[in-house]
Amino acid sequence: MTIQRLTGTSVQRVEDPRILTGRGRYVDDVVLPGMLHAAFVRSPHAHARIVSIDTSEAKVMPGVRLVLSDADLRPLIGDMTANGSAGLFVATYSALARDVVRLVGEPIAMVVADSRALAEDAVDRVVVRFDVLDPVIDMDAAMRDDAALLYPDHRSNVIYRTEHRYGDTAAAFADAAHVVHERFLQHRHANVPMETRGGVADCSPATGALEYHTSHQAPHAMRFQLSMILRQPAHLLRVRCGDIGGSFGQKGGIGREDIAVCAASRMLGRPVKWIEDRAENLAVGGQAREERLDVEAAIDAEGHLLAVRLKMVMDTGAYPQLGFPASGYTNVVRSLFPGPYRLEHYDFDAIAVTTNKGTYVPYRGPWEVETWVRERLFDVLARTAGIDPVELRLRNLWTDDELPRQSVTGVELIKMTQRDTLLDARDRIGYDAFRAEQVEARRNGRHLGIGFCNFIEPAPFMPSLIKAIGFMAAPRTPQEAHIRVEPDGSVTLFTSQQPHGQGHETTLAQLVADEIGIDIARVRVVHGDTQVTPFNFVGTGGSRAATLASGAVMGAARQVRDRILRMAAELWEIDVADLDIVDGAVVAIGVPSRTLPMPMVGVLAYTRPGLANDDGSLGIDEHHAYISYEGTWSQSTHCCVVEVDVETGQVKVLRFLVVEDCGRMINPAIVDGQVRGGVAQGISAVLFEHSAYGPDGRYLATSLTDYLIATANDLPHIEVVHHHSDPDDAVPFRGVGEGGAIGAPAALTNAIEDALVPFGVKIRE
Amino acid sequence: MTGPATTVEVTLRVNGEERSAIVEPRRTLVELLREDLELTGTHIGCEQGACGSCTVLIDGASARACLTPAFRAHGCEVVTIEGLADAPGTMSVLQQACMERHAFQCGFCTPGMLIVAAELLAERDDPSEAEVREALSGNLCRCTGYDSIVAAVLHAAERLRPTVDGAAS
Ligand code: FES
Ligand code: FES
Repeated sequence: MTIQRLTGTSVQRVEDPRILTGRGRYVDDVVLPGMLHAAFVRSPHAHARIVSIDTSEAKVMPGVRLVLSDADLRPLIGDMTANGSAGLFVATYSALARDVVRLVGEPIAMVVADSRALAEDAVDRVVVRFDVLDPVIDMDAAMRDDAALLYPDHRSNVIYRTEHRYGDTAAAFADAAHVVHERFLQHRHANVPMETRGGVADCSPATGALEYHTSHQAPHAMRFQLSMILRQPAHLLRVRCGDIGGSFGQKGGIGREDIAVCAASRMLGRPVKWIEDRAENLAVGGQAREERLDVEAAIDAEGHLLAVRLKMVMDTGAYPQLGFPASGYTNVVRSLFPGPYRLEHYDFDAIAVTTNKGTYVPYRGPWEVETWVRERLFDVLARTAGIDPVELRLRNLWTDDELPRQSVTGVELIKMTQRDTLLDARDRIGYDAFRAEQVEARRNGRHLGIGFCNFIEPAPFMPSLIKAIGFMAAPRTPQEAHIRVEPDGSVTLFTSQQPHGQGHETTLAQLVADEIGIDIARVRVVHGDTQVTPFNFVGTGGSRAATLASGAVMGAARQVRDRILRMAAELWEIDVADLDIVDGAVVAIGVPSRTLPMPMVGVLAYTRPGLANDDGSLGIDEHHAYISYEGTWSQSTHCCVVEVDVETGQVKVLRFLVVEDCGRMINPAIVDGQVRGGVAQGISAVLFEHSAYGPDGRYLATSLTDYLIATANDLPHIEVVHHHSDPDDAVPFRGVGEGGAIGAPAALTNAIEDALVPFGVKIRE
Repeated sequence: MTGPATTVEVTLRVNGEERSAIVEPRRTLVELLREDLELTGTHIGCEQGACGSCTVLIDGASARACLTPAFRAHGCEVVTIEGLADAPGTMSVLQQACMERHAFQCGFCTPGMLIVAAELLAERDDPSEAEVREALSGNLCRCTGYDSIVAAVLHAAERLRPTVDGAAS
């Protein structure tokens, strides 16, 4: 038996000594001999035909080594084609614009020079002439018959349509006591990691091998795509990541700049660096969340939800991201909308449109709108029926004797604990007392409000959900770990995760140390190098590490442990069952004199053929893969209390409480950090953030003084409480990466609306 | 156009050591630190003066190195994140407190946060939570929601305060 020593405790982070002393290595810290710098010529127009590109003056500017446009690149590399799915129009595009630009900031040409400043000087000398076209800047305009077309060959700006029918909504609506119609619109906002995108491409003229140092969530996906598009043999292509300054979904796709920078390094035989500036990041780094849902819902006189009809429109922006297809988002929204609630009659229609705006990318909980709309709807229904919103939710949650079951969309609902989290949140926030205080405050002209939000988070996605979604998710699920015992008995873990703030160098090392029985200081976690890490399309994303990466790591660590014990058993001619590994040494139970410290294990494994491995190979080297299974839900109730100043419209968040059930925790401080960070983003999105476009398609929020993010002064202390169901699962940990950002917007919006009830204010956006 | 018209020599003390470099007048202090002096602990999050990642101490006062021309730091005493600990391989009380409280995640905002926190703690050893939040409010962190950073600064203050018998705890 392994004694659990580290797992479950807030072990200090392995990453912190370097990060806290300024010795992290982010992509902009990569400096290579002979390195050149790239800058891009970008479109000032939302929609225009390119008449001509004149690079002659830029080419002779001091320090300029290369100026490229599509005409130069086209013979050398392929185009960019995103993932498709049935019925989805997927535009193919080139790294640098070809003929037409479709958003402000689209890269048209690239300058490579001796310094960034010289490259930028030359960018100003590239002369591009445009024939300006009508921009399409909102979803309604995009769908109009006379709309300008982004892709005339496709003959429509609608790129995807889907319709699903579950049960019999017509019959259910006929029985309704109340029917509500609401329109919910989420405004466009963005991931905004504090570190922008960037990369350093380093192509060796001697071997043709290309190394790309970048800031990315999924280095293997990057390599896969680079290889295809650059037509670069994959065995001559290596992608590397160091420390990453946040991503939240943005750095999962492959940027046009990535392609151009790699191509330039290959042409020049020298390293080329590109670091996105903030204006570029805000305009073209990726934006998210712009969705509109028209909802029709029916309830009976007791507030039981009878049926829902949803019509969703999402604005995907100008180009499909090389990563997650538009149909993916709508299908996850459809599959998860019923959540933990009893809903048996349900229609879902969705349309995805393309407009002259930034590319839609996944953002922390990319399907978050299903929770936002459902939980907003419950508050609207509660007011319509005159029922308390918490009570209404309790009436609609599946009861324990109805569970486990399949949701109407085919998702397995197993081990649901939302009733517990909701009741606990209600008690901890002091709900009844708050309602009394609210009445009292209103008398004094103060407007307090409270909002709740329940949701279940697939962390990771389970097979029934993947089936319900019905596309390309399968290859995204497996996780792999590879553990090697080194000659001195220290241990190296190679993971397919690509952490960018999640602390996996700590959490995964905790698991390895506990499973094998060694000190965490003797474990190193290696990520961010496609040459040595196991393949995975997603890297870190989708809240998959806690269950899937852990399962892989624990499996590989157990194999290592078994092999070490078998070695000692053979050496000592003792039964394996009588051996253990304690504090970094194999011991024979009951024979204190018999110990084999790990350094000796290492030496023996590498010097005695046949001891560690029957086939005579040396060393200890174990691989383990882990795939998803049913029941891996994280579940939460978020509760928010606000005060609204009705004169100024200012909202102050007085309390924010999360009651979370993510099973057992590997490192509670890291879990809480993930939850709080997500909540902060959710609050910030509602109160401050907006990727705003003008009517001419001009992008308006080009700096962090225009695109506002919540500061330490804008946020309350975020209270986090944990429940621990399912502690006996073989891998009892669930992901928490996305939930904070999924639950917070609904809880906050509900609270604001609750504060404004006396004014009859409805918040739809 | 020909090459850069002029250059200036900038000499300053960085983390207690005299350093100098010959730079173009348009070079910013953050570029000087990161590129000429190879101190990459100070980060660039926006170059717009808005995120605070590039914050350093100039003669004891925090300043945004992305907005400060390098030549302005001529003759000044500059402290960066690399200079917060007394000796290489050690950490200051503030840095230790950050480690104990899991203050940061991705670490990109860290240099600026640590500098403004160090500035605050140099001025007062008993800040309230509201004062800590106010001091950090010019620096953006996208990962943490700030709670853990605020907790770490308060924890550091507690450890820096003299105890009743006069010694630092
Ligand atoms: S980089 Fe200086 S404030 Fe953002
Ligand atoms: S820790 Fe990532 S930005 Fe602060």
